[in-house]
Amino acid sequence: MDRVTSWIARLVLVFLYVPIVAVIVYSFNAASGGYRWTGFSFRWYGELFGDTALLQTLATSAVVGVLAASVATVIGLLAAIGLVRYPVKGSGVVLGAIVLPLIVPEIVLGVALLSVFSFLHVPLGILTLVLGHLIITLPLTTLIMVGAFRTLDPSLIEAAADLGCTPWRTFTRVLFPLMRSSIIAAWLLAFTVSLGNIVISTFVSGVGSTTMPLRVYSLLKSGLTPELNALGTLLIVLTFVVVLSVGIQQMRRILASPSGPAPAPERTTAPR
Amino acid sequence: MTTDTIARPEQRPAPRRRERASSHRQTRATTVTGLLLLAPAIIAVLGLAIIPILLVARNSFAESNVYGGITGGFTLENYAHLLDPVYAKVLGYSLGMALLNTVVCLAVGYVVSYYIVSRPPTRQSLLLLLIIVPFWIDFLVRTFAWISVLGRGGPVFGVLDALGVDTAQLSLVPSQGAVVMGLLYAFLPTAIFPIYASMRAIDPSVKEAAADLGCGWWQTHFRVLMPLSSTGIVAAAMLTFIPTLGVFVIPVLLGGGKDQLVGNLIVTLYTEFRNQPMGAAVSMMLLVLMLLAMAVAGLIARRGRKKVA
Repeated sequence: MDRVTSWIARLVLVFLYVPIVAVIVYSFNAASGGYRWTGFSFRWYGELFGDTALLQTLATSAVVGVLAASVATVIGLLAAIGLVRYPVKGSGVVLGAIVLPLIVPEIVLGVALLSVFSFLHVPLGILTLVLGHLIITLPLTTLIMVGAFRTLDPSLIEAAADLGCTPWRTFTRVLFPLMRSSIIAAWLLAFTVSLGNIVISTFVSGVGSTTMPLRVYSLLKSGLTPELNALGTLLIVLTFVVVLSVGIQQMRRILASPSGPAPAPERTTAPR
Repeated sequence: MTTDTIARPEQRPAPRRRERASSHRQTRATTVTGLLLLAPAIIAVLGLAIIPILLVARNSFAESNVYGGITGGFTLENYAHLLDPVYAKVLGYSLGMALLNTVVCLAVGYVVSYYIVSRPPTRQSLLLLLIIVPFWIDFLVRTFAWISVLGRGGPVFGVLDALGVDTAQLSLVPSQGAVVMGLLYAFLPTAIFPIYASMRAIDPSVKEAAADLGCGWWQTHFRVLMPLSSTGIVAAAMLTFIPTLGVFVIPVLLGGGKDQLVGNLIVTLYTEFRNQPMGAAVSMMLLVLMLLAMAVAGLIARRGRKKVA
């Protein structure tokens, strides 16, 4: 029986990669419609880079992603230092609250943000997108850095203090260098989540601030074009680069460790 | 798993701190520093999650004018409307789809986790990486990929044609099957990780002991390994069931948009009908379902652990 389940598992692994391979292969297909292979071509990449409307939305997404990831990383780092180094009564509750957006269905968060923005008459645009993406990436960055912090030897920080370092110097000369890889990992993953987000963006994007996934989604409603496969291929390559540079250990800490809840997609990142 | 996360930060450095911080003033300085460091996160969570959700809760009881705008007041009408056939149909279909997806994801996730756990540690890391990569790929790309895989002229049709199946009348996408497939593909990694994590914690000798005591393959799994990994299985179910209800992209792209999930309903109510109070009521229903599912999951996990102990 173990052999049967092993074969099923191997088939599942193949199943995970069939669509990915399909996107990559079809992005080089010369045919302009349908899914029959007619020859190799870079034509769709040319079309993609000539599609200014789509590139414009990609720029919007990049701006939102950089801003949201940066703010989420800074706030997450501060919170992690607070939670691990200066635990106060109720800091456990605070961590629970930070992780909340991973547990609440993303669509409810989107609706909630739209309600509060319309209640306060905040015009929908880049700002609301950044705030929306901030709240779903903050749990991720905080969890990564809390995890990294816990594995750090606290005596290193105390030694720095004993040797006369001010808290700021301890941070810049000791803490930050030790945390650098986790900070980069947190930023990259937050950026990836923001770049691909569609649920929150559906509710909080404005007329002039369509993000790339929103544009792709509206294009897909009238059918899949080979140009989108070219875009998909570039995004797949980007993901491979991010995931491999972040490394398996970091990923396992986020996803598989019992101390950190796995993202809901949605997640996140996750499915929506 | 959350209790674990919550409990830990207070434990480690705290005693050492207290020893060193002999004077009362230093302890207070520590508290202030801690609170200052947490302040931005607290403000973000309050302002962008907790208060907005409370506002949705309020809106779900609000009256609306003919344009769907909120006029204040208090009414239970929005919730009463949830029983209307239109809404009840969406809810029924969603619960069915979510249940189906959860069962499929758990079954496949269990088999894959069992496979990974039984490999040597270095292979385990590689396999996990293989599962993680698709999970991080852009969600839309992962979904529209199935259109070309299942579309006419695509690889699946190629295989069917080669096998001599008459494909003239066949349409694989959009179809209900494509939706099920798309949901499985979207949620499988989410289901695998918690199951893998709890299965990895099981002592391998347990399995051997079960075999020595005469347990067959099925018995070993259903009576021993499954109860022991129940925490992960329940977590996986939670991470699959509720989020499936909120999905709106997959039914549109792979199902042709005829059958709606709760997610589609919410999007339609907010962005097309602009009926905020009704949309809020549906959102609150989703939130209540989530809380119910969490309560049930907690109960099952506790009973699962007791049974084995």
